[in-house]
Amino acid sequence: MKSISSRLRPHVGRRRLRALASNQSAILVGVLIVLIGVFSALEPKFFSVATAGNILTDWGSVVLIAVGMTYVIISGGIDLSVGAVVGLSSVTAAWTMATVLGVGQDVQGSAAYGTMLVGAVVSVSVGALVGLINAFLINKLHIAPFIATLATMGACLGFSVIISTGMPIGSANDFSLIAPIDSSYVPFSWAVVAVIMVVTILGFFLHKARFGLYTYAVGSNAFATRVAGINVERQRTKVYVLSGALAGLAGMYVYIRLGAGSPSSGNGRELDAIAAAVIGGVALSGGVGTILGTVLGTLILFTVQSGLIMVGLAPDWKKVVVAVLIAAAVGAQSLRRGGGSQP
Amino acid sequence: MTDGVLYEVRNVTKSYGQVRALEDASIMLRAGEVVGLVGDNGAGKSTLIKVLSGVHRPDSGEILLDGQQRSWNSPREALDAGIETLYQDSSLAPHLTVSQNVFLGRELTVPGFLGRMGFLNSKKMDEEAREDLERVGILIPPSGRTVTQLSGGQRQAVAVGRAVAWARTVILLDEPTNHLGARQSIDVLNVIAAAREQGLAVMLISHTLPYVLQVCDRIVVMRLGRVVADAPRSSFDADSLIGTITGSINSSPANEA
Amino acid sequence: MKRSFKLFAVAGAAAILALTTGCSSTDNSETAETSAAESEATVEGDPISIAFLMGAEADPFFQAMKVGAEEEAAALGVELIWQGDPAQYSPETQIPIVDAVLALNPTGLVLIPTDPKALQASVDKAVAAGIIVVNVDTRVDDLSNVLTFITGDNQDGGAKAADALAGKIGYAEGQSYQVVVGSSSPTATTNQARLEGFTNRIAEMYPGIEIVDVAYSESNPEKASTNVNNWLTKYPDLSGIFAIDGTNASGASAAIEAKGLKDKIALVGYDAYPDNVAKIKSGLITALIAQDPAAEARLAIQAIVNKVKDGVDPESREVVIPNVILDSSTSDADLKTYTYVAN
Repeated sequence: MKSISSRLRPHVGRRRLRALASNQSAILVGVLIVLIGVFSALEPKFFSVATAGNILTDWGSVVLIAVGMTYVIISGGIDLSVGAVVGLSSVTAAWTMATVLGVGQDVQGSAAYGTMLVGAVVSVSVGALVGLINAFLINKLHIAPFIATLATMGACLGFSVIISTGMPIGSANDFSLIAPIDSSYVPFSWAVVAVIMVVTILGFFLHKARFGLYTYAVGSNAFATRVAGINVERQRTKVYVLSGALAGLAGMYVYIRLGAGSPSSGNGRELDAIAAAVIGGVALSGGVGTILGTVLGTLILFTVQSGLIMVGLAPDWKKVVVAVLIAAAVGAQSLRRGGGSQP
Repeated sequence: MTDGVLYEVRNVTKSYGQVRALEDASIMLRAGEVVGLVGDNGAGKSTLIKVLSGVHRPDSGEILLDGQQRSWNSPREALDAGIETLYQDSSLAPHLTVSQNVFLGRELTVPGFLGRMGFLNSKKMDEEAREDLERVGILIPPSGRTVTQLSGGQRQAVAVGRAVAWARTVILLDEPTNHLGARQSIDVLNVIAAAREQGLAVMLISHTLPYVLQVCDRIVVMRLGRVVADAPRSSFDADSLIGTITGSINSSPANEA
Repeated sequence: MKRSFKLFAVAGAAAILALTTGCSSTDNSETAETSAAESEATVEGDPISIAFLMGAEADPFFQAMKVGAEEEAAALGVELIWQGDPAQYSPETQIPIVDAVLALNPTGLVLIPTDPKALQASVDKAVAAGIIVVNVDTRVDDLSNVLTFITGDNQDGGAKAADALAGKIGYAEGQSYQVVVGSSSPTATTNQARLEGFTNRIAEMYPGIEIVDVAYSESNPEKASTNVNNWLTKYPDLSGIFAIDGTNASGASAAIEAKGLKDKIALVGYDAYPDNVAKIKSGLITALIAQDPAAEARLAIQAIVNKVKDGVDPESREVVIPNVILDSSTSDADLKTYTYVAN
């Protein structure tokens, strides 16, 4: 039994550590700087506009689903279908452009924009529709989100293969949208700029608007939210539809990257999104998380991926590094919660 | 208002599957009166309060507010009618701040287009939340800290304060002195008394019989889903109250006050 | 955590797959009746069922194989059970599916093992249950109980790719060149064999070419694209890329196109996806090594049926089907013939 005084006075060092762990974004930026430093030291070419461009290109598609995943996890749920939705939406958009509109791969550049706009609408709509189905399964049939979204994930994979017959479907594209605007100085491509705008707007909604507040509220205490007069089911529906729509948008992003809709393009992305969100500070139990954290978490993920390739290490090391980062993130979180009373 | 009755339910029955939670229960609340609802575990008190607050729809029975038949399709409708409720243990969202909790469901938005998009006026809500809580006697600085960083007693105080601050007609409190020490409990009882002075109809569920005997004007006893006693406080003392609760003293149901 | 995710995904996917392949099984049901009337020499008098367990449904190579398998099964009047993971080429997802299929007690099993060691136990289990086993495309380590192993000549394919790449680069004695290899899986024997063929040929004939890196994309074209992006940054003097399979060819060609390096980097790929075949015309892809997956499937089914009906072993334990090279000199008619088709 500890003495009363030592029980009343938390260890000073622990308190300092907790204060440090509280500044989530600062830590993530710090980790990012350390990673960039280490990789650049090992391979000088890593520290270049070209590498930044590569990382941002990878970051662009996954950050969209990671942001959607952030909303979903904060609301107390999970969405395992997003990777499969990327593939399905990408394939459906490509099929619409190639087969329904009859536009081929030969149409390139700005001539493709009209067709691509149709493709984008199809892509986002498919994603939103899957989100609606997820919400229905969870709200009306009371299936746990893990199981419900796992089921839609399987269904989306299946439909992807059926629509595409297993092959990538190519159609009109403008590859310059995914290339850095100025390869010497500006690592951002127009596609990445668009993604940044979308993510920023969603960040404002999560942290400053009612939609975001209700998302936190539902994840924090669904009963309290309900008795405050808020329609919890409607809020959940909106969140899952958002997640699906973002996955659909990511599907269009991947289409632009590949010039084709490919059924396997979303493979494993749902796990990347969850890892990015957790590294960014999202708690799987709900009620906790920030957009900035997720953005940085995704950035860290792809800095590691690019770094390992540039340095020449086997990709299996990426899994080890990511596992360490996740463990550190979860550890920091329990450190932060350690002092206060448990909910 | 007939007979001064503001809010009442008549002959309400509610079952969950095989379990009969409420059996032909009736209760009425008057403005400016504090009614204590007591009973053993499983008596049906929490279910009754949830019927009154719009969380549960009764299987049969009537709900009347101000003499008019009402039917609550959701908690929102009861809230709109000015009925505020404090639930046992689950009233606050722990990851939200005090002011976010106080304004939950009733947020203030910024003016203009952004306001219509749902963008919140957090600064204003922080200020008003602090004022509202102070007005009913709760002093907690609603800083940016989340509710998890408050002690159990502080959380309960916020929940009570929120209910009292928003209530316009009826206020229902399920175990408001939970987690509170003696001094804080007295504070809550004072808040309840002040609410009565304001002309609200107050219903209070509590296990702590001394508090019930102290602040309530009328006491209703439930047992196994039924109302077994409904009488002014003066007709009870500690022993007879316990007896009625446990059933060792038989009391004819619905002794109208 | 990853393992249980995958097992869950398999369960969901297998359910979906069972639904979708239920369609192909019913196509054969009427021929099964006619076959019962026709065949007098069936060993046990039971209808023959052949389970075909391929790698990943989303891969067009296996889609093309499916076409050949279904045609042959219909022609010979046997029931075809087509199974496999919808998108992931990995032993973790394949083994449970094999187990599930073995429980159906088919007459024969055509297995495309995703790992030579990991699937050995499944093969042994099938043989012990009296099921005839054939390996196609990839093989298990110990073939002693396997009826026959039919594959494309992957070693030769890799060597031919080396020739094509060296040709396009304009290989000259005494000069130095850098190339990279984009592969999918470090365990798949096809990938390994092609890499070996490529590496040996380079060492033998083109000593001035250095293979500076090999990276794995797990059959995800977006990841293949990422690998190429990073290589292009790390090796500014890169001359050529060998994309070891179709998804790598898709991803690599998109990455090169996006960076506008079409005429600077030679790209030789594998597998005749229609989209990629179209890129031969534009010069984005120098050459594609095409296999004949439909023929492989046909031979596999024939071998099993012959063994069951006539007790005859196939002529050789290992059957190697030659590759075809598709490049700018190939006629349009030939291009069409060898492009992978699916249903």
